[in-house]
Amino acid sequence: MRKIVIPGELIDEKPLRILDSIVENNKTYSTIMGLYDDEKKSLIPLEGLWYPNRDDQVIGIIEESKLNTETVILNAPYKGLIISKYSEGKMASGDFIEASVKELDKTGTVILTRPRTLRGGKIIKIKPSKINRLLGKNNTMIRQISEGTGTRIIPGLNGMIWLNDGNIDLAIDAINTVCKEAHTSGLTERIGNMLKSTKSTTIITEEKVEEEMI
Amino acid sequence: MKGNIELIKNGKRLDGRLAGDLRDIKIKTNVVKNAQGSAYIEWGNNKIIAAVHGPSEALPRHTANPNKAVVKCRYMMAPFSSSEEHGRSGMNRRAIEISKVTGEVFENVILRDQFPGTEINLYIEVLQSDGGTRAAGITCAAVALAASGIPMRDLPYSVSAGKVGDTVILDLNKIEDNYSDADMPVAILPRNNEIVLLQMDGSLTTKQYSDAMELIIESGKKISAIQRTALLEPYVASENKNKG
Amino acid sequence: MQMITKEYLTGRLSKGLRDDNRTPFSYRTISIRTNEIPNAEGSAIVELGNTKVLAGIKLDVSEPMRDTPEDGNITTSAELLPMADENYDIGPPTPIGVEFARVVDRGIRAAGILDTSKLFIEEGKVWSVFIDLYVLNNDGNIFDAGTLAAMAALKTCRMPKYENGLVIRETQERLTTNNIVTSCTFVKVPGAKIIDPTSNEEELADARITIANDFDVIRAMQKGMSGAFTTKEVNELIETTFDKSKELVNILKKNTGD
Repeated sequence: MRKIVIPGELIDEKPLRILDSIVENNKTYSTIMGLYDDEKKSLIPLEGLWYPNRDDQVIGIIEESKLNTETVILNAPYKGLIISKYSEGKMASGDFIEASVKELDKTGTVILTRPRTLRGGKIIKIKPSKINRLLGKNNTMIRQISEGTGTRIIPGLNGMIWLNDGNIDLAIDAINTVCKEAHTSGLTERIGNMLKSTKSTTIITEEKVEEEMI
Repeated sequence: MKGNIELIKNGKRLDGRLAGDLRDIKIKTNVVKNAQGSAYIEWGNNKIIAAVHGPSEALPRHTANPNKAVVKCRYMMAPFSSSEEHGRSGMNRRAIEISKVTGEVFENVILRDQFPGTEINLYIEVLQSDGGTRAAGITCAAVALAASGIPMRDLPYSVSAGKVGDTVILDLNKIEDNYSDADMPVAILPRNNEIVLLQMDGSLTTKQYSDAMELIIESGKKISAIQRTALLEPYVASENKNKG
Repeated sequence: MQMITKEYLTGRLSKGLRDDNRTPFSYRTISIRTNEIPNAEGSAIVELGNTKVLAGIKLDVSEPMRDTPEDGNITTSAELLPMADENYDIGPPTPIGVEFARVVDRGIRAAGILDTSKLFIEEGKVWSVFIDLYVLNNDGNIFDAGTLAAMAALKTCRMPKYENGLVIRETQERLTTNNIVTSCTFVKVPGAKIIDPTSNEEELADARITIANDFDVIRAMQKGMSGAFTTKEVNELIETTFDKSKELVNILKKNTGD
């Protein structure tokens, strides 16, 4: 059985070692909004932040370019840093880049390596907790969106996604739908149908309903 | 009783509530698109937005703690929020104190050691006030934090109790607050009923204090349930949409 | 949240479209809701796409200014709430916040929305009208959203009474407004001028201009940012403002029961 849990909610009467949970009095409690599967004993975050790990592929924006380093905005608690010996050419503030994580150093900086400038296009930000669903098993979901729209899509594990060419708007609609419905079943098929219907079935009307209170 | 307003008549309060009744509470998440997490609460006539930014690099650097995140909280009332005169813009001593004790609630509950050297900014903006704004603000901020994905060991709620004459009452509105004989806002971590905020002024006997605390903890079950419903709402909505 | 590059935007504009598929001179969807804060005498929330501004109005009895003893006061202030934008800071009003409040204020005063002589009560006592603008979420063009919010709140504002030294706020009376002012804001991005810019577009812009008008009268103007406009460009933008303001006035009227 899968159920949605909130911070502080009991997920198991036994002490379990699961990411994003704590054990208190030999019981296990969630610390985040997540989807808990009590057969697999797995807790998938529905809302969550990105923790840098070695070799994570990320997308970022150059914040500042200094003599030997560049600082990078990453949509994360920590800033990225490129040390110029790792980069081919100088980058300018505002440039979009793709890079991989070398390490999170002791001062709280994400050292990046193998940076590559991404020319043109746009970057969208989604919740990092949705990236795995967006990729899908063996990247099936993202490939489907990319092929269905003719858009080049490079996702970063930090929740930033770079898009260029093709029907970018449709690709973004599809990505937003994946994020909104990440926890539901039959999603791959629904996205497939969405991409097939030639009209860009833009923005689901939920926006309007959402704003009733303020 | 202070003043000459009869706050309780035939067991009913001015707004028709019984001594232990809460006002109506509605919460909605994700109301501020630019925030990491946000929530809006209508608690009686109180209307409050809470939003979270971060964690991000703590600035200026000397405010950073190398071992854990710092929580920077600002509670503020809009100058048009009261039913009386135009308020002064900006922070007064009351707002500074509420910001401090509210920040401490969340320093307790957020798993801060996961984000050393960072700051978490928590903003509570009171758009309309009718008594009990700090409690409503904390209840709302807890939901905003959960929606932001920042890990917490429990989801706090807050409500106040007080006293009119010899009657202990729950969740004082503005007029009750003005004329009551005691007011005690409390924030609780529901799992073990840990008290993470406690303020009080007026006069209470130990018996009245325990009665007040009992009302608070009993009402907490309802408040926690409303928080939970608000957090699950976006997920339930999209599930229903696909079924229907 | 989305971020775009100059090349991307200019590529789109060369096809006559903006990042969000708007044409250069079209507004985002506008929604106006009034009396959201019943404790305030007047209030309105305006959403301009993802930009959200709340205006709250309070009336208090106070002393007149020394040089205008028979006129009421109008005070417009703005809070750029730090929750609304990562670039907004806690602390005293910033230059952009002050500029925002003053530009909205100038349009309202210049168009004679309120007759300050009607705000006179008795010698030494006048009504002060406090207009507070709260930016709840910033996705560009707070100027036009702020003017719309202030205008909608003023048009639906209650008029308190002053009797025997007491302010009575529960009344059915409305504050009298004599006119409608709206503003149109444009930015200059590489190769184009566009109305109602988003935050992304503002970031790529080098010049901004706000023109407030009622019908074919210009009431207030403000050029912002370091870039420049030619005189011809400004003439064209004034004409565009006269045209586009009709839409804004219609939306305002529709949502304020006028």
